[in-house]
Amino acid sequence: MVFSQTTLENAKAIAENCQGSHRAFCASRCPMHCDVIGYVNLIGEGKTTDAIKKIREALFLPGTLGRICAHPCETVCRRETEFNQPIAIAALKRYAADMADDESLWDISKKPQTGKKIAVIGAGPAGAQAAIDLAKEGHDVAIYEKLDVVGGMMRVGIPEYRLPRNLIDREYTYLTKLGIAINLGVEIGKDMPFNELANNHDAVIVANGAHQGFVPPIKGAETGGITNAADFLKSVSLGDKNLKVGKNVLVVGGGDVAMDCARTALRLGAESVNLVSLERMEELPASKHEQTGSLDEGVVFNLGWGGEEIFSENGSVSGIKLKECTSVFDAEGKFSPSFSENTQEISCDMLIFATGQRVQDVTGGALAQGGGSRYDADKDTLATSVDKVFVAGDCAGATIVVEAMALGRKAAVSVNRFLAGMDLKEDRDLDNEYSCETALDIPLPEDLQDLPRKHTRELDPKARIGSFEECDLGFDDETALQESQRCIKCECKQCMTECIMFNEFTQFPGMMFEAFLKDGKIEPLAVYSCNMCDQCTIVCPEDFKFAALFGDLRKDMVIANNGESPMAGHKAINMHQKLGFSKMFTTRKKGGK
Amino acid sequence: MSRKAFLPGCALPSYNPQAVEATIRHLKNIYPDLSVVQKCCGKPTIAVGQAEKFAERFAGLVEDIKYCEADEVIVACQSCMKTLKGCEDYKTTSLWELLPLIGLPKELVGKARDSDVVFSVHDSCSVRDYTGIHNGIRWTLAALGYKFVDPPGRARDMARCCGFGGMIVPVSPDIAQRVMRRRVDDFPTSKSVVYCAACRSSFMTVGADSWHILDLLFGDVVYENTPPPANVLASPLKAWGNRHKSKRLINTVMK
Ligand SMILES: Cc1cc2nc3c(=O)[nH]c(=O)nc-3n(C[C@H](O)[C@H](O)[C@H](O)COP(=O)(O)OP(=O)(O)OC[C@H]3O[C@@H](n4cnc5c(N)ncnc54)[C@H](O)[C@@H]3O)c2cc1C
Repeated sequence: MVFSQTTLENAKAIAENCQGSHRAFCASRCPMHCDVIGYVNLIGEGKTTDAIKKIREALFLPGTLGRICAHPCETVCRRETEFNQPIAIAALKRYAADMADDESLWDISKKPQTGKKIAVIGAGPAGAQAAIDLAKEGHDVAIYEKLDVVGGMMRVGIPEYRLPRNLIDREYTYLTKLGIAINLGVEIGKDMPFNELANNHDAVIVANGAHQGFVPPIKGAETGGITNAADFLKSVSLGDKNLKVGKNVLVVGGGDVAMDCARTALRLGAESVNLVSLERMEELPASKHEQTGSLDEGVVFNLGWGGEEIFSENGSVSGIKLKECTSVFDAEGKFSPSFSENTQEISCDMLIFATGQRVQDVTGGALAQGGGSRYDADKDTLATSVDKVFVAGDCAGATIVVEAMALGRKAAVSVNRFLAGMDLKEDRDLDNEYSCETALDIPLPEDLQDLPRKHTRELDPKARIGSFEECDLGFDDETALQESQRCIKCECKQCMTECIMFNEFTQFPGMMFEAFLKDGKIEPLAVYSCNMCDQCTIVCPEDFKFAALFGDLRKDMVIANNGESPMAGHKAINMHQKLGFSKMFTTRKKGGK
Repeated sequence: MSRKAFLPGCALPSYNPQAVEATIRHLKNIYPDLSVVQKCCGKPTIAVGQAEKFAERFAGLVEDIKYCEADEVIVACQSCMKTLKGCEDYKTTSLWELLPLIGLPKELVGKARDSDVVFSVHDSCSVRDYTGIHNGIRWTLAALGYKFVDPPGRARDMARCCGFGGMIVPVSPDIAQRVMRRRVDDFPTSKSVVYCAACRSSFMTVGADSWHILDLLFGDVVYENTPPPANVLASPLKAWGNRHKSKRLINTVMK
């Protein structure tokens, strides 16, 4: 069927620019593109089970992420950018998970077995996500994990009082349900050479994280009683009997990891915990929530100081000399601290450096490591210079769990293409594989009010430091309902909320006309179900004239149908029209003389 | 003074021929050399996409207007308003915007002062941009003495379709009915007033009482317990009978 130029041009404009396909700010920022609006509003409607199903379409760890996700989505929430009161997206996710995550809802369907064997190094979130995606594709997936537990840094970094361990174990049973083999206690590079692993599999995903604590070169740092965040938190998490925590602990670092160390030390019985960071309060990298948590529990902040020299007594640390940091970054925004002559000394018997973790090579040098110690890889595909070897997670540049998962998924997409002999890059929707910008540009609702963010219940700080019990108690039903109802649903559904007809045929007009242009056809019933009332155009931020386009399509269809409407129901119109113009029913009477 | 022709359209004559006649009488009192043309403007053909047929049909109407030597057309139908607006040879005026200028028949002014009805005003979506028409309807209701309200946020330029538009009724009756019902739900009161006979038929179809403004102008005063006129347009036989009757009435008044 032939369509007029006008029809095609207008359809193209809509297909390309309709905002209906633009993701909300939250969902586009989420590297896994979780449908935040979808589940938050289901919670708001009291449909918690539907909400958890929606979350599970994107995330296999809803309870975990609901507790510890660094929630980049909340930083772009319109209630954040307008009022500094973002929706408590993560906490709502936790609520849905705690209330309704029944294992019977888990989707354990898989494609037929392919017979391809894939090895994944590391049972952190990156490795787990890659394994899930590949198992669902029908491949035979085995994870090799050095530790005797699953979860990676979620298990041995993030402290238990933020993330109960039984929850990780429960959510990881999803992997075994999918038939993924998890080989615990196997360290690649030690218990099994990397080459052997690679030779025995059709593809390998390296996702060993960044576990090597980093201690900056400060004078005196070689003495005893000094450790780093990764080692310290891992020992605590694995219940290391030999771990002795000092009476007076000093933590160096200003990020969330430093807060984790400080708060953990308190729980292990430290009498005082000092935290030292180059950054001052306003520039402290740690999240506000963690800062408040630490201060409430009694951590003493010493902000705007850098270590100059470590003192020791009897081969063990006794204190540190600090110099005042006047600025952390240079004019170009690069990390380049400058200091004044002011100094102070703090005594301590344990010193923990929470100043970054590095990637430890597990490939015996097969993969090169570049900036920040990450493995070198193509950032779009995570393919490395070694055939069939891909990287994912922190060792590939992620810094938080949900990013690690997205990179796990990206690596899985590449492996799938690789196994199918496809090009790794061709026609790949990269925006779909990581955080992206949205072109959404819709007005705020006219009657929008600045409603304050609701907070979850928490254990009293005094009670908290007595144990590793979870501090955050989550939302109760009422608060969850109220919080979710604050969501302003930043997506363009303007015409869809006005038009009954569109909802019968599509999710949004852009989709309808994209399909039309692609298939070269459109359902006549859709074209002929438009009331031509223009209500859609009134609310369309792009001012698209849908009625006119349907009118043009009708003309095209009539031409293609020998001058008649293709709709059987319109047959009667011919008769009506004949009568409406016949002598019997018409008259003209000229007035006047 | 310009020569005027009144076009009652299709739906109105099919619904209420007496109202057509009464309107002509009123107009003729003011414009003694008024002409009248009863013929379809061709809108249904353009609505289904028959561009060629429409051109042909519309030309037929224009020929009649020419025959009447009219240079201004007064329309009672919103579709006629839109099709004729594009034709530069004539000034097109809606009957509804004209009424405030020429006034109502004196004896009708204030006749419904005692009515206990509050009408919800339904504006036709096809003339959502014609403020003069919206004002004229409200002026007329007020002049008759009726009380009325707008559907909040859904009146005038924001009015929602009655469900009849785009010739969808014979194609997607289910969608059409849902649109009809939704529009009825916009109304704050149980009785609505419209200025398009097709809109009225839509609301009657979903069981909502509705009156055409000419029913109110020329008919008996409506009270809360007055039943609405029948849904004539739902019966093709009656509708065509009326259209024929309207033609005869026109021929009689215009003798
Ligand atoms: C203290 C701390 C707190 C954090 N808090 C948060 C937070 O609140 N929110 C957030 O989103 N992110 C947080 N992060 C970051 C987050 O934990 C990581 O981004 C994420 O876990 C990275 O996932 P991954 O799978 O790449 O690596 P990991 O989680 O590190 O997992 C890698 C796995 O590989 C295993 N492995 C290593 N070497 C070998 C080998 N040779 N053979 C076999 N297995 C091996 C490791 O044992 C480990 O289990 C935190 C990190 C730390 C250190």
